[in-house]
Amino acid sequence: MKKFFSLLVLLIFSIYSTFPIWHIFNVSLRSDNSFQNDSLHFWPDSLSWKNYEIVFTKTLFPTWLFNSVMISVMVTILGLILSITAAYALSRFSVQGKKGILTFLLATQMFPATMLLLPFYILLSQFHLLNNFWGLLIIYSSSALPFCVWQLKSYFDTLPFEIEDAARVDGCNRWQVLWKIVLPISKPAIAITALFQLTTAWSEYAMASVVLQDPQMQTLPLGLKSFQSSLATEWGLYAAAAVIVSLPATLAFILLSRYLISGLTLGSVKG
Amino acid sequence: MRFLTSLIVILTTLLVLFSNLALSEDSPKIHLRLWHQLMYSHRTVQADLIKEFEKQNPDIVVESSYWETEELRSKFQASALGGIGPELIYGPSDQVGPFYTMNLLRPLNDLIDEESLKDFDPISVIRKDKSIFLMGDTTGNFLCLVYNKKLLAQAPSSTDEMMKQGQEWKKGYYLVWPMQEPFFFVPWVAGFGTPFVDQNASPLLNSSSMKSAMTFIRDLRRSSFVPKEADYETANALFKDGKVAIILNGDWSWGDYKKAGLDIGVAPFPKISATGLWPSPLVSTLGYSVNKNIEEAKLPATKKLLQFLLSKESQLSFAKEVGILPSRISARQDPIVKEDPLLKAAAEIMKLGQPMPIEPELRAIWDSLRTHYQAVLADQESPEKASESAQLDALEQIHVMNNVEEVSWQSYVIKVLGLLVGLALTWLGWQWLKLIKISFGEIGKFPYLLLTPAMLAVFVVVIFPFCFNFYISFSNLSLRTFQNYQLTGWQNYIQILENPTFYFVFGKTIIWTFTNVFFHVFLGVFLALLINQSLPAKPFFRVLLIIPWAVPQYITALTWRGMFNSQFGLINKVVHDLLHGPAIEWFSSPLKAFSACFLTNVWLGFPFMMMVTLGGLQSIPKELFEAAKVDGASTWQTFRRITWPLLQPVLRPAVVLGCIWTFNNLNVVWLVSNGGEPADQTHILVSYVYKSAFNLYRYSSSAALSMIIFCVLLAWTIFYLRLQEKVSQESTSDSVEGSHK
Repeated sequence: MKKFFSLLVLLIFSIYSTFPIWHIFNVSLRSDNSFQNDSLHFWPDSLSWKNYEIVFTKTLFPTWLFNSVMISVMVTILGLILSITAAYALSRFSVQGKKGILTFLLATQMFPATMLLLPFYILLSQFHLLNNFWGLLIIYSSSALPFCVWQLKSYFDTLPFEIEDAARVDGCNRWQVLWKIVLPISKPAIAITALFQLTTAWSEYAMASVVLQDPQMQTLPLGLKSFQSSLATEWGLYAAAAVIVSLPATLAFILLSRYLISGLTLGSVKG
Repeated sequence: MRFLTSLIVILTTLLVLFSNLALSEDSPKIHLRLWHQLMYSHRTVQADLIKEFEKQNPDIVVESSYWETEELRSKFQASALGGIGPELIYGPSDQVGPFYTMNLLRPLNDLIDEESLKDFDPISVIRKDKSIFLMGDTTGNFLCLVYNKKLLAQAPSSTDEMMKQGQEWKKGYYLVWPMQEPFFFVPWVAGFGTPFVDQNASPLLNSSSMKSAMTFIRDLRRSSFVPKEADYETANALFKDGKVAIILNGDWSWGDYKKAGLDIGVAPFPKISATGLWPSPLVSTLGYSVNKNIEEAKLPATKKLLQFLLSKESQLSFAKEVGILPSRISARQDPIVKEDPLLKAAAEIMKLGQPMPIEPELRAIWDSLRTHYQAVLADQESPEKASESAQLDALEQIHVMNNVEEVSWQSYVIKVLGLLVGLALTWLGWQWLKLIKISFGEIGKFPYLLLTPAMLAVFVVVIFPFCFNFYISFSNLSLRTFQNYQLTGWQNYIQILENPTFYFVFGKTIIWTFTNVFFHVFLGVFLALLINQSLPAKPFFRVLLIIPWAVPQYITALTWRGMFNSQFGLINKVVHDLLHGPAIEWFSSPLKAFSACFLTNVWLGFPFMMMVTLGGLQSIPKELFEAAKVDGASTWQTFRRITWPLLQPVLRPAVVLGCIWTFNNLNVVWLVSNGGEPADQTHILVSYVYKSAFNLYRYSSSAALSMIIFCVLLAWTIFYLRLQEKVSQESTSDSVEGSHK
């Protein structure tokens, strides 16, 4: 009985959490370019893949997709390197001002992001980093850093010191300890960090719109927004593109979901 | 691991190659950048024209990029502040006002032939002080009455006829329009006597015709033949579905309706029977302006491009493909235009119109009118009171917008203090470095080596924008001082802290944050506990439940807005069909609109807390639960005494992050409530910042507000972390020991 009740509750919440996505999918299969409709039912009336076809053949979508994949992968790699090193240092060593550093990282999330756009624009244009992936790469990898460092640090905190000490005795240097001992046993946490970096880069819009201006350089969220204009949105194309944008992120979550739980141990703040 | 290394190497090389590819096109070709806001169907016509132009001029490359109207404006402003930006910008004439005031545009006089100028409809040539700043290639952008010929043979010619036809209407709805938008309301005002602005763009909101028009529209909206609630998308969908006979919409929509296979007719808004006057839609032009920062060397090419895009032939291809009215008189004589019944009607309707004022003050007028107009629709204000307050607000906002703070003695104090703070920070940094050097002896350089890259990256990305905002928060950067702002004093902070609205919005933001985070944690922990039992199809549920986290926010926020729609939205369908309740008009009262935002944000946030809790549950030793079971503890006791306290270390940082994210969540509030609807009453602090920075050009004031938000969050976080650490240290040791006894 208790199990049945639990299943029922879970089912209700699953519907709650998936319905909007289902709705978008539904719109993407329609051919009349409207977002809301009286005849919108739970099942689509007709299966028309026309919107997907147009998105892929008549727009720059393939280019945007390539750009997005490129940037997301690079951001994930760079972000992983930065957050692993920083988190390890903060977890294992009594670094001066550790508490201050951790709070500083949190503090970077506190300033309203919209007000950062104007200064970013000025800064990037001074360094000729507009229309260039490097500017975006640095911004993305560091904007997800605070969460990633906190999260990885708490995971490293749960690992026993003894293995590392043993490795040191066996003649490994510190880099080797990190590379050969700590990383392999931290796979779950690293998977989460990677996932977080990946989704940040994959779905970010505001910064990308500042940095990337040439249509050939744009990423998926920018392309997606280009189907939207005030009072004249191409809802069919928008929904189709939205489904395609959401798919990889969702897939990544599903594939990594077995790591998600054991890796996510956002833990103690003890300095 | 070797695989990973080689992957990194390969990808890095690829990226270097890739980014060089885009940069190193060092050909002698002249690049012209054109930013525009053309809607999707118009873009293809433009793309073809540009291809043709590049064929004729092989030495010129035109890079055209699309931005949404508002974004186009704010991006162009930002880029001009950075001293760069596109050579050409295409948009509606009303953006000339602010751009001109900010000194961002270059006069076009020497780029346009005197001769050809005579051929243009005067409305399409936008001048300021005798210089031309925008050349339109099309005129129109006006509202009219569009009717479905299948349902209605002829459009009503007067309001009395419209009311009569409406009351007798049996086939669904008779009339619909985007109700919350003042743009769709102002044509009526002129029909009652006086327009809503005079020729110098001063507001005339407290006129008797405004009051009559507001009464008229409020009563019209209550009529049975009009849907209870409709935004642009709903109105459009109703019309496309053939569920409504008449829609009030702009000429831009005609092409879409024709494409959807509707047989449409167009007419002006019906004559007001009470006055015998025609309502007067705003007519504007869309066209090209040139950036002030354009390089001298690019002028000849720009001239060529402008000539090409403004030519009769180009205008005719737009008229032919997407049915918009050319701005050249000679083009209007062409059979393509003359024989198109819709374009012919357009020319007629435009004769009733009034040109759209281009002064930047118009923003303030729209903004205050929007607030009070929506309040009338929501029955919160009477038309009399609304027009009075709208006028007062508009004047006040115009005053604030044009006000330039003088440099005061405070600026010297700030400079001195800034210097002192700078010195203090340097000294602290120096002391820190010394401590680090000492600790080299104890723990070595290795950890600092590890830490440096990440800290450097965050520092570089964060520090300049932060200092910049800090600086302009003490300055007078606003519409009138866009390029020559000065450090003036702390008046921005004083103004914010003296404004009662700030405390109201602040209080609302706090309630918003706490209720949201409470429900995130509550649902997250609850679902995590459910999922943590041994259940069938566990991974399946887990995947479904994290989907809200995986999908980009701006997609889901828009979807939720659609689902709250009273006409078509799923939520009301459920309320209506399953619970037999009346349809809820989510966006007509502030509380309901705020709850809509809230439901959306809970949806977005609970998966994160759920995953964090699931992670935390793994780390609780199983023995504790077994011991509790042996001792005969109830489920609630086990939760209260073991699970909850032991989840604390995991939940604490998650709650901190959750609060920060929720406090600053612009996406949900802005997208779900469509920028503060109704009547600007759903704002939280960030959306307030966003609005005043980008809608009202109050950059310095927004920067000051951002600094206040930052300080509040920082203080709260430090306080919370301290408090929780103490509490949890006591209670954890307490309860765990307790359960062992």
